[in-house]
Amino acid sequence: MIQLHNVSMAYQQDASALDNINLKIGKGEFVFLTGPSGAGKTTLLRLLYGALSPSRGQVLIDGQNVSRLPASQIPYLRRSVGVVFQDFKLLQNRTVFENVAITLEVLGWGRADIGKKVMHILKQMGIESKFNMITQRLSGGEQQRVALARALVNDPKILLADEPTGNLDDANKNQILSIFREANVRGTTVVVATHDRRLIEQSHKRIVMLNKGEIVEQMEKEKNRDDQAL
Amino acid sequence: MNRWKKKKTETIKPFKRPTLAGDGFGGRIGYFVTRAITNIRQNVFVNVVTIGTITLALLIVSLFLLVFVNLESAAENWSERVQVTVYFDKELTPPEQNALRGKILALPGARSVAYVSREEAMKRFKNRLRGQETILEGVRPEVLPTSFEISLKRANRDTLGVESFVSALKRIPGIMEVQYGEEWVRRFNSFLNFARLLGGLLGGFLVVAVIFIVSNTIKLTIYARRDELEVMSLVGATSFFIKAPFLLEGLMQGIAGSIISIALLFGLYEGFLHNAGSFLTFNPVTSGLGFLPLEYVGGIFLAGALLGFIGSLTSLKRFINV
Repeated sequence: MIQLHNVSMAYQQDASALDNINLKIGKGEFVFLTGPSGAGKTTLLRLLYGALSPSRGQVLIDGQNVSRLPASQIPYLRRSVGVVFQDFKLLQNRTVFENVAITLEVLGWGRADIGKKVMHILKQMGIESKFNMITQRLSGGEQQRVALARALVNDPKILLADEPTGNLDDANKNQILSIFREANVRGTTVVVATHDRRLIEQSHKRIVMLNKGEIVEQMEKEKNRDDQAL
Repeated sequence: MNRWKKKKTETIKPFKRPTLAGDGFGGRIGYFVTRAITNIRQNVFVNVVTIGTITLALLIVSLFLLVFVNLESAAENWSERVQVTVYFDKELTPPEQNALRGKILALPGARSVAYVSREEAMKRFKNRLRGQETILEGVRPEVLPTSFEISLKRANRDTLGVESFVSALKRIPGIMEVQYGEEWVRRFNSFLNFARLLGGLLGGFLVVAVIFIVSNTIKLTIYARRDELEVMSLVGATSFFIKAPFLLEGLMQGIAGSIISIALLFGLYEGFLHNAGSFLTFNPVTSGLGFLPLEYVGGIFLAGALLGFIGSLTSLKRFINV
C-alpha cells in the first residue's frame, strides 16, 4: 500500500529531515512511527498525503508515484487518505457536523446522504449528541474525535495520524486507540506517529523507529509482543 | 481521475457512495451558490466591509466620470461656437446662394451652411442692442454685409481642422473674406486638451488606487479564512472546488457594491439638481446637466462585478498552491 524507496527530504540544503528511507507498509497493516521530536515523523507523514514532495527517492501509495503526481491529481490522492493532525485543524467557528461533513461535500455527496453518514460516524465516535456544537467549545478529547471522524467518514484506504494522543488522558487514549483498531479491522491501513511509549506497548503492532531522519530500528508485530512478554 | 477512488466491499462499508445529480460541474453550481451565501451570512461584518469598500471605490470613480461626462458635453456645446463665417459685400441671389452652398458643403468637415441676408443681420443687430435702439437710428441694412455661417463637424473643430477647412474654403472662387475667430478656437482647444489630459491622469490614478484598495480588502477577508481553504485542500478538494464559492462570493460582493454605488450616485445627482440652485449662479435643472449615459452605468456595473471576481481570484492564488 505504501512504499518508500531511498527517500530523502531536505527543507534546507544541508539539513535533511529524512535521509534515505526505505519502508514498505502492506495493505491493512497498523504501524507506529516513533522516535524523538525532530526525528522526521511528521515529515514522513506529510510525504504520504502529498503535502511535500521528496527531495530524492520515490513515494508510492497504492502503486501511484506521489512524487510524480501532478498537482491537479493530489486532491484525488487525498480522498483515499484520511489524516488526523497534531493540532486537529478543525474549523473553530463551525459545528461538529459541518466539520465532518466537509470531507463528503468535497466528494459531491448530496445533503441527505451526508447527514446519514456523518451521524453514523459521530455515533461510532461517541459524540453524536454534540453534533450541533461549535468545535471551539469541545474538550481536547472530543475535538480529537471530531478530527478522527472527519478523517474516517470517507472510509479511507489509509489513515495517517500525527501524535493523536498528545494531550489526552488515559481513558481518552484508549478510546482513540480502539477507534484506530476498528478502522484497521475494517481494512484501513493505519500509520500513527507518536512518541507515547505506553500507547505503542499496549497495541502490539509493528513499530518503525526514526532518529535524525533515519530508520534506526524496526520491530515486527510478533517481536513487539515478545518484548512485552519478557 | 478515478484512480484513487475506493473499490467498495460490502462487508467494510455500511454506506455506499451515492450516485448524485450533483456530480460534475453543472450539478455543483447549486452547492457553490449555497456555500457562497452561507459564507456571506456567516461573515456578515467582513462582507459589509468589502461591499462598502467596493461601493465607495466605484462611487468615487463614477462621480468623477459624471463630472467628466458633463464637462465633455459642455465642451461639445461650446464648440458649436467654432464657426466659420464668409462675408460678402452684396446680397446674393438664390441661385448664387445655392451654388456656393453646394460647393461649401462638398468640402470635408462642413456640417451645415446658413445664409444670413442683410435683413437677417439687421434683425440680429437690433436684438443684440435691445433697449439701446437709438444707436441704430439712421443705420440702414445696406451697410451690413451678407454672410454664410458654416458650422463644422465635431472632428474639424480643433485648431488644425479649422485652419485646413478655411484654406480649402478660400480656394472656392467668389469667396474672399473669411473669419473664424482664430484666437478663440486656439484657446478653447488648448483648454479642452489640457482638461482631457488632466482628467485622464486623475481618472487613471483613481482607478489604480481603487483596484489596489479593493484587492487588498478582499485579500484580508480571504486571509481570515485560510484555515478553511487549508482544511478543504487536505480532505481532497480540487482547487476549483475550493475557489468557486469564493469567486462567486466576490462576484456577488462586486455586483452588490456596484448597484449600491449607482443608486448613491443617482441620489447625489438628483439631490444636486434640486438643491444646488441656492448656492450656484445658474439653475442646474435647466443647465442641461445629465446623468451618466446608460452604457456608462452598464460599465460601472460590469466593473464592480469584475473587481469582485478578479480581486478574489488574485487573492486566492496566494493561499491555494495545491
